[in-house]
Amino acid sequence: MSREPVTLTIDGREITVPAGTLVIRAAERLGIEIPRFCDHPFLAPAGACRQCYVEIEGQAKLVTSCTTRVAPDMAVRTQVTSELVRRAQAANLEFLLLNHPLDCPVCDRGGECPLQDQALAFGPGESRYIEPKRTYRKPIPLSPLVNLDRERCVLCARCTRFCDEISGDRFIELYDRGAGERVSIAAGEDFRSPFSGNTIQICPVGALTATPYRFVARPFDLSSTDSTCAHCAAGCAIRVDVRRGKVVRVLARDDVEVNDAWICDKGRFAFAAPDRPERVTTPLVRARGLEPASFQEVLGEIAARCRGGRVGILVGGRLADEDAYALSKLARTVLGTNDLDHRRAFHGGRAELLAAARPMSVTYRDVEEAAAILVVGLDAEQELPILHLRIRKAARRGARVFVLHARRTRLHDLGEHLLVRPGHEAFALERIREALAAGGDGPEARIAAALAEAGERAVVLAGPRLAEHPLAADVALGLAERVGARFALCARRAGDRGALRAGVHPTLLPGGRRVTDDVERGQVEAVWGPIPAEPGRDAMGILRAAAGRELDVLYLVGVDPLRDLPDPALARRALANAGYTVIQGLELGELEPYADAFLPAAAAAERDGRVTTWEGRPRPLRAARAPLGLSRPDWEIFVGLAEALGADLGLGSLEAIRAEAEPLLAPREVPVRSSAWGAAGPPQWIEERVLFTYPLLVDEGRLLEGATELKAALEEEPFAEIHREDAEALGVADGGWVRVRTSAGDAVVRARVGETVAPGAVFVPFNQPGLPVAELLAGRFTVGVHLEPAAEPAAEEVA
Amino acid sequence: MSDGPRIITAHWGDERVIPYEGYVRVGGYEGLRRALAMSPEEVIAEVKASGLRGRGGAGFPTGVKWSFVPQDTGKPTYVVCNFDESEPGTFNNRELVEREPHQVLEGIAIAAYAIRSNLAFIYCRGEFLWPGSVLRRALEEAYEHGVLGERVLGTDHRLDVVLHRGAGAYICGEETALLSSLEGYRGQPRQRPPFPAIEGLYASPTVINNVETLCFVPHILRNGASWFTSIGTERSPGTKVFSISGKVERPGNYELPMGTPFRVLLEEHAGGVLGGRALKAWTPGGSSTPMLTAEHLDVALDFESVQQAGSMLGTGAVMVMDETDCMVEAVRRMVRFYAHESCGKCTPCREGTWWVSRVLDRIEAGYGRPEDLPLLEDLVPNLLFRGFCPLLDGAVSPVASGLRHFREEFERHIEERRCPFTGRGSATGVAEPPAPPAPQEPAPGPVPLSEVLG
Amino acid sequence: MAVLTPELRAQAEAIVARYPRPRSAILPLLYLVQSVEGWVSPEGLREVAELLGLRTAEVEAVATFYTMIRPRPTGRHVVNVCTNLSCALRGGRDVYAAAREAAGLRPGEESSADGLFTVREEECLGACDGAPVMQVDFANHERVTPERARELLDALRRGEVPAPSRGAAPRDFRHACRILAGVEDLA
Ligand SMILES: Cc1cc2nc3c(=O)[nH]c(=O)nc-3n(C[C@H](O)[C@H](O)[C@H](O)COP(=O)(O)O)c2cc1C
Ligand code: SF4
Ligand code: FES
Repeated sequence: MSREPVTLTIDGREITVPAGTLVIRAAERLGIEIPRFCDHPFLAPAGACRQCYVEIEGQAKLVTSCTTRVAPDMAVRTQVTSELVRRAQAANLEFLLLNHPLDCPVCDRGGECPLQDQALAFGPGESRYIEPKRTYRKPIPLSPLVNLDRERCVLCARCTRFCDEISGDRFIELYDRGAGERVSIAAGEDFRSPFSGNTIQICPVGALTATPYRFVARPFDLSSTDSTCAHCAAGCAIRVDVRRGKVVRVLARDDVEVNDAWICDKGRFAFAAPDRPERVTTPLVRARGLEPASFQEVLGEIAARCRGGRVGILVGGRLADEDAYALSKLARTVLGTNDLDHRRAFHGGRAELLAAARPMSVTYRDVEEAAAILVVGLDAEQELPILHLRIRKAARRGARVFVLHARRTRLHDLGEHLLVRPGHEAFALERIREALAAGGDGPEARIAAALAEAGERAVVLAGPRLAEHPLAADVALGLAERVGARFALCARRAGDRGALRAGVHPTLLPGGRRVTDDVERGQVEAVWGPIPAEPGRDAMGILRAAAGRELDVLYLVGVDPLRDLPDPALARRALANAGYTVIQGLELGELEPYADAFLPAAAAAERDGRVTTWEGRPRPLRAARAPLGLSRPDWEIFVGLAEALGADLGLGSLEAIRAEAEPLLAPREVPVRSSAWGAAGPPQWIEERVLFTYPLLVDEGRLLEGATELKAALEEEPFAEIHREDAEALGVADGGWVRVRTSAGDAVVRARVGETVAPGAVFVPFNQPGLPVAELLAGRFTVGVHLEPAAEPAAEEVA
Repeated sequence: MSDGPRIITAHWGDERVIPYEGYVRVGGYEGLRRALAMSPEEVIAEVKASGLRGRGGAGFPTGVKWSFVPQDTGKPTYVVCNFDESEPGTFNNRELVEREPHQVLEGIAIAAYAIRSNLAFIYCRGEFLWPGSVLRRALEEAYEHGVLGERVLGTDHRLDVVLHRGAGAYICGEETALLSSLEGYRGQPRQRPPFPAIEGLYASPTVINNVETLCFVPHILRNGASWFTSIGTERSPGTKVFSISGKVERPGNYELPMGTPFRVLLEEHAGGVLGGRALKAWTPGGSSTPMLTAEHLDVALDFESVQQAGSMLGTGAVMVMDETDCMVEAVRRMVRFYAHESCGKCTPCREGTWWVSRVLDRIEAGYGRPEDLPLLEDLVPNLLFRGFCPLLDGAVSPVASGLRHFREEFERHIEERRCPFTGRGSATGVAEPPAPPAPQEPAPGPVPLSEVLG
Repeated sequence: MAVLTPELRAQAEAIVARYPRPRSAILPLLYLVQSVEGWVSPEGLREVAELLGLRTAEVEAVATFYTMIRPRPTGRHVVNVCTNLSCALRGGRDVYAAAREAAGLRPGEESSADGLFTVREEECLGACDGAPVMQVDFANHERVTPERARELLDALRRGEVPAPSRGAAPRDFRHACRILAGVEDLA
């Protein structure tokens, strides 16, 4: 579409907008709000509700401004200047209200309902419609999260268009026709889409309501704060609504650079965790048991243990950027150690170095405007849902999408999948690279041709599944560079990219500067003072060191090594053998027996700060309420610990942290290294069957605690997904039971048989209820596995 | 009876023209042969020059429509023959197909050649079980004789034709709803522009023509554009097959030159009003065109003249009502049709036709209120031209024209609280006002439409 | 129990192959299912959805839009009586009443308890020259009087296939659906 400017007048005021702009949007730019119901800026024009009529000079009939595009010298009159338009809008409102119930006082939308507002502003006092209104059974649960009240529905089709155009999860549809038209779902089905909540938000009336919010609050009871969702690295703009100190609702805010107008259901509905009774909001020390104490006391005791001791620090994926920076500096300059790591896997490589040094190599907009997208080792819907929506948007705009992954993803309707066994991604990428020159007609050749053709408009998105085989990420990077594509190593958790950038990493300092490189380390030392020069241990190394009684203090910040890392047996030994264990976070959980000290951290909704998206874009966190009890932001705790050790980090405020960090985090070039297999040699080709796992969007993660309806709607029973060939060879039936055995343990789960995983690979979701799959992992997220058909387990044995 | 030229009904009654051989014997497929000897552009130019206007209702020039089809999009082009014929009172497409199925196939083949299309569809109304079967047999014959398939009549042109049956929805005759339906979606209209000629079936350039329109095409190619323009009027050339029904002696289809006065159709061809009674009202082009009255007996039946008389030629479907017929009931019945057929997409159509139906139900049943007539009169301009597609305008036509010409009948219903023609009404023993049909759905799940609309 | 047997599945695939895009086959496939069940059951919807790679709701949304796709069990014969204007002017409403009565329907009922008849009031059937029009399994009977309607239903009850005014008639509603699906033709 050409974008030359077009000049027109609306209500006599001149405005210039890009060609192709809809009249309703042009009017918005002038501050003229044309009433509308079906129009939504992120959905295709529908022209269904007929509320947005305007008059255009020279045209006999009124036109709908949501479907009419601007033309040069067009003269538009809205309800502001046209009596005819005013009358038409009032008439249409009367039609909309014919069958609409008058239950505003008990409707969740009451007070923030466009229909109510317009009826109040323009509607007649009395209805001329004297016949009985249409009635329907109400409300109908579409899922444990979403309820439908058909009487209130104005049939704008926003909800069904969202499912069709945006998420592609077409669970709900308009049924029937004429006055019988209504939103419906197939009998016996649930609205099982991780984006279902968006339909509630864009419903212009109270037809769709959220179970967790029904009858909970009235708009005027709420205090609202604009913030960023901290559930993953997508960085969605949200609004947090608090009623009497409790978060009761999270809404998406519009942001065209990031989340358009959408958030996923986790971001929307998983907000109850910080209010659970298990939350600990006072510092604790171990005396006779774990006992409350003041921060000063607890920090003093920790300081005493750290002074002169060997400290290892494990970090989860949820620190704000400022926390990460303060911790990185604390560890290096006060605790004197490089033994800190925020990662679950990934062991160096150029792709990681680039991600640490150079943010924003790919943006959402680049994805949207791409001509070809290669997604490798990433299940975008489950891991970065809003990136998934952008990829879908790109596909609808004509981008060719390819997914190289061990398991089929929800891009399957729009993109071509190449299922490769976990660990073999690098080989597949190499084949693509070879096909660039050699051509051919297999999927690798198709991908190569599409990427080469797209050139600068090609994007390669590498996800966490490449983390165990760092060379695979580097091969993906090499491929991207070969064709001139943009490349991103996509972090999954909200704190991952910020922690990497800040150097919460055993061998990287802020800005991706290597500990072992004297020049690069010197650049950081110039700001921080001396830093130990020997590389630190990675996460598993820290656990092994603790298990081997080589650490005096094991400091766990927002992480549970029993659940989050792939070797719970090792974690148990580490916790048992560490000289002293400090837990910092929202709660103790299963770590309670091991804790020597506890430091209560503020939840994301209770503090200011920044998080960094997978792109590398900083996003603001804002406190929607005060921290509960004595809890405080992590960075303040780090500063306090430094003080207790007699050091001044010089980081007394968020501003001070940002000011110091900024020059160190400025984008920098990194030396080019060969991206061939390198010194480590090619990744191992595992011949046996492998089990692989990654967390699905909704799992047993700590931040999902308390989100009952969300879990009821989206959580899965544990299962093992097996390729049909393997299942047939083993005699395992779809829906039957299968015993999954690894060197670390075994479990009996239901089999899902199909062509949705690579042959030879078995997928078991991470951290689902009833199956702590980590117990099957022997230090990696991909392990050799033995399968056999099993009898239905007795109740207590059911995984 | 004045016998004008008959073009597309010339062989009606001769069953021998139904099979391929008989059709060829009377000159069938000669037009296609001529077309194939010309360039596609020349074919379009010829049809353009003939001034042929679409017979599906809107009267858009056919050749001009064809010329809009771009040839440089890299996408295939399609021809769709609109055989959904559902406008109340209209039945000429059905008879054209039943009596000479190859004539429309020939028209389709010429249209496809003209826009360089290799695939055409016939959207056949679902309820037309037998006419569809006639077409199906004709299609088989056409393939057997090399009229369709890889080499159309031995040329390099390839053409396949798919018969697609609808499933009961008037709106699917509207061209964009038809495309939605043919693509496998609910038959709801789509935004225009883009027009089908640019982005139609599967977002590819598509020509959609009515059966009757396509039937003329072979004759134009056979006899030349100037022959066609010599018939009918200057701006509405050629003939038209008028369907006349209701209170007439000889209901049926009559092919007459455009511009023939209504009186000639009624009196000379249809045998006058049934039983010699007086004419009260008639629709010139189906129930979606405003009704005219006995005053309009001499209106010439062509696009311009009927418009001047305050109505539209539409499909040329005349429904005749006589002095004994209740106009409130007639209007009520016509509006009910549109309420039943509204696709539901847009508010004024979905809610407005429902509302007007309820009010008319009440008035006919003797429960009208004096304020109902001003209400209806106020609703007319609030509905006219306010729908997403023209279906709603069709629903308004009977109300507006009924009130314009027969307001006193509405008043009498309200004053006497009964229908003056049937005597039934609240004044004579109907106890309850008509209840609107309540949707009682076993939710979630489908509610049968009949339960919603009665 | 699957609605479509392997043989019908093969026919379904042939239907899909008629079109450039599979989804276009949705109506013929619904007719095919209906020719087996006499209506389209939830299971039938699921099978069509699976054949076309759609969600069930997408198919059901389409099915409920069209009046010829039946959302619940239907009589062996479907009798449609046109009561639109041209037929109403010629007595269509009386024919409808007579047909209902002959089928033994009580007010509010659409199908007879014996499973033999479904009687529906139809919109204009495009045969107003033969008003009033009654369709038996979509075969037209023209100039039908109430008596003629009763005779026709009696004939159907006796298992006959009354000759329509034009062309040929299907044996019953399911046969008509096979024709509509395009897998069989009228004699
Ligand atoms: C509500 C509605 C119903 C229509 N139904 C039919 C129909 O049944 N048959 C038809 O040929 N055109 C019908 N049309 C007109 C078509 O949209 C379209 O204009 C026509 O098929 C074009 O063919 P023509 O140019 O040959 O007339 C209908 C239009 C509307 C608005
Ligand atoms: S449920 Fe809401 S958004 Fe959906 S169609 Fe109805 S009114 Fe529109
Ligand atoms: S009937 Fe559907 S938009 Fe008018």
